Amino acid sequence: MKLTTILAASIAFMPVAALAESKGKVEGIHHWVSESEVKALKVVTDKLASKGYTWQDSAVGGLSGANALQALRTRLAAGNPPATMQFLGYEGLDWGKQGVLRSLNELYTKNGWDKALAPQLLSFVKNGDDFISVPINMHRQNWLWANKAAFDKAGVKEPKSWDELIANGDKLRAAGVIPLAMGDESWQILEVFEAILVDVNGPEFYKKAVVDLDEGTLSSPEMIATFDKLRKVRALVDDGFTGRDWAVATGMVADGKAAMQVMGDWAKGEFLAKGLKPGVDFLCFPTPTDKPNFKFVIDAFGMFKVDDAVTTAGQDAWAESIMDPEVQKQFNLFKGSIPARSDVPVDSFDDCAKRSYADREAAVKNGAMLGGLTDGFAAQPQFAGVFTDVVGKFFVTDMSSKDAVQALVDGINNAR
Amino acid sequence: MSLKNKLDLWLPRLVLSPSLLAVLIAVYLFIVWTAWISLSSSQMVPKFDFVGLEQYVRLWSTPRWHTAVANLFIFTTLFLAITISLGLFLAILLDQKVRAEGFLRAVYLYPMALSFIVTGTAWKWILNPTLGLQKVVNELGWTGFVFDWITQPSFAIYCVVIAAVWQSTGFAMAIFLAGLRAIDTSIIKAAQIEGASLPRIYVSVIVPMLRPAFLSVIVLLSYISIKSFDLVLALTNAGPGSATEMPSTFMFAATFRRNQMGVGAASAIMMLMTVAAIIVPYLYSELREDRNAH
Repeated sequence: MKLTTILAASIAFMPVAALAESKGKVEGIHHWVSESEVKALKVVTDKLASKGYTWQDSAVGGLSGANALQALRTRLAAGNPPATMQFLGYEGLDWGKQGVLRSLNELYTKNGWDKALAPQLLSFVKNGDDFISVPINMHRQNWLWANKAAFDKAGVKEPKSWDELIANGDKLRAAGVIPLAMGDESWQILEVFEAILVDVNGPEFYKKAVVDLDEGTLSSPEMIATFDKLRKVRALVDDGFTGRDWAVATGMVADGKAAMQVMGDWAKGEFLAKGLKPGVDFLCFPTPTDKPNFKFVIDAFGMFKVDDAVTTAGQDAWAESIMDPEVQKQFNLFKGSIPARSDVPVDSFDDCAKRSYADREAAVKNGAMLGGLTDGFAAQPQFAGVFTDVVGKFFVTDMSSKDAVQALVDGINNAR
Repeated sequence: MSLKNKLDLWLPRLVLSPSLLAVLIAVYLFIVWTAWISLSSSQMVPKFDFVGLEQYVRLWSTPRWHTAVANLFIFTTLFLAITISLGLFLAILLDQKVRAEGFLRAVYLYPMALSFIVTGTAWKWILNPTLGLQKVVNELGWTGFVFDWITQPSFAIYCVVIAAVWQSTGFAMAIFLAGLRAIDTSIIKAAQIEGASLPRIYVSVIVPMLRPAFLSVIVLLSYISIKSFDLVLALTNAGPGSATEMPSTFMFAATFRRNQMGVGAASAIMMLMTVAAIIVPYLYSELREDRNAH
């Protein structure tokens, strides 16, 4: 955080001549620091520059954005908010409720942006009647990544149900590969759990359980059965999963040491970086289910209320840059996700992204478009945290499914 | 009163006042602020209402907090006991006028120069059964050797102890060594003349005289253990499950990641009271005896 302050200060005192061409600057806090993320962001900042504004970068990496949020708290407390900030999950809505975000209604109406976004997505960019942020991308969380060679060697195909996936485990192990690559970090376990939860019980059940936090649903026999299934998935994982980073697990699939991984489509970049090709070297398909669903994760930028007209105009330019269809396309080609706008074609994208795009269209129609729990798009953080705790503990201990469900209900009630 | 006398009187106060002010604001004012927040309904941002002890009730009904408290006691007890005994043992050995003492001292003290993040990451790999110690021993031929504590929720906390002991033993050793060197050799000579054996001299004469060194080591190590945040984060990230959760990691998660600032503040106050309950009486008795002695 200190470094950012120093950087921000040094930029603020840069000779005016350097900024002479610019109409003003737009400062933004975000947590994109990896190579592909930085490349992707540059697409947007270049667009901003073409509109005559300078981008002032205040990246705060680490802890999935927790560090950046801390930076923001400090800035707000000091009465010096940035022009814009990247939000995940409920963060934008929470800050909107604090009354520190600008309403973007004018921009939305003028450009018809609300019609370009999936209706399920609007609940994360709209606080009451006010649009408070603009989404740039959409990741899909419920993907299964597989090594094609390992699948061929074991003679298994894309599973159609979790039971089939679990049964495939024996064949894969017989062929000398670890069936499922993952780490023991609670959030990685939760990704698997919530995939089973919705794939087996369907979108309505998922909504009741993790969005409405309905006690009857949480303590239902279906919930116990979901934990039972997670217990079986545990047997597919090797013992070296301690402290394994998700990207390391992805690397195991890419190298053929492991056969599958359940992870959002940010994992795709790891395969592509090794020069592997979708459909040829690695496979991507949604987590197995007969009740198709699409679990989204979006990154959106909110604009803070500021007094001076220059910054406000800069914020408008930034919002327009983000929502520019061409920017959304180029950005997501680098980032590995698909455009947040549903009206941007993905013809130039790879097969995984195309499948994501098609599945999204179907899910929007069927009401099977759901926010991902792990990444903060289903339950508020204090409740999502309880899911993380219980599921994480269940996976690494020999806790019974019944006890897990009880711990879940108690924990949720305690956090209410 | 002459100007010089006045200056003598006021200069120390003047020099001390900025740091006193900084401590008053940065430490005590924020303790009061945290206490206040812990009695409010604060979630994402501070709120200054009053809900009584609601957040404390919520805190104590959270199973993760119970794990954290239990871990803190296990960790602190073992960490202090092992570090102090090992440190003292090494210091006594080094005090035997061994050759290359300076070099050895540096070797033992070196881990202290590393940050806990480095220690944690290195030990994460060493303790991983498929990468580290177990793999090496297995490959050397002892294939039945199993050392997978870090994967087991009920043993993982001992891995944190191992890493912390490794890091801090040299530091305890250095303080004890300094204490040993400060002991008047004539006392030892006197004991020898009285016919006391060497172990006896150490147990009855030297170790009791190391009391100030014990005080420093205990106080410093206890605060290392209570603020052990980076080590846990790097070594186990509070896992597996939440088996190695510590009060400090709990507080960070509640306050900054889970929008439960009130619960986080309540846990911080619990930590403060725990430390106070242990350290204050200890300091009080140590310092009072000190005063009586002089």
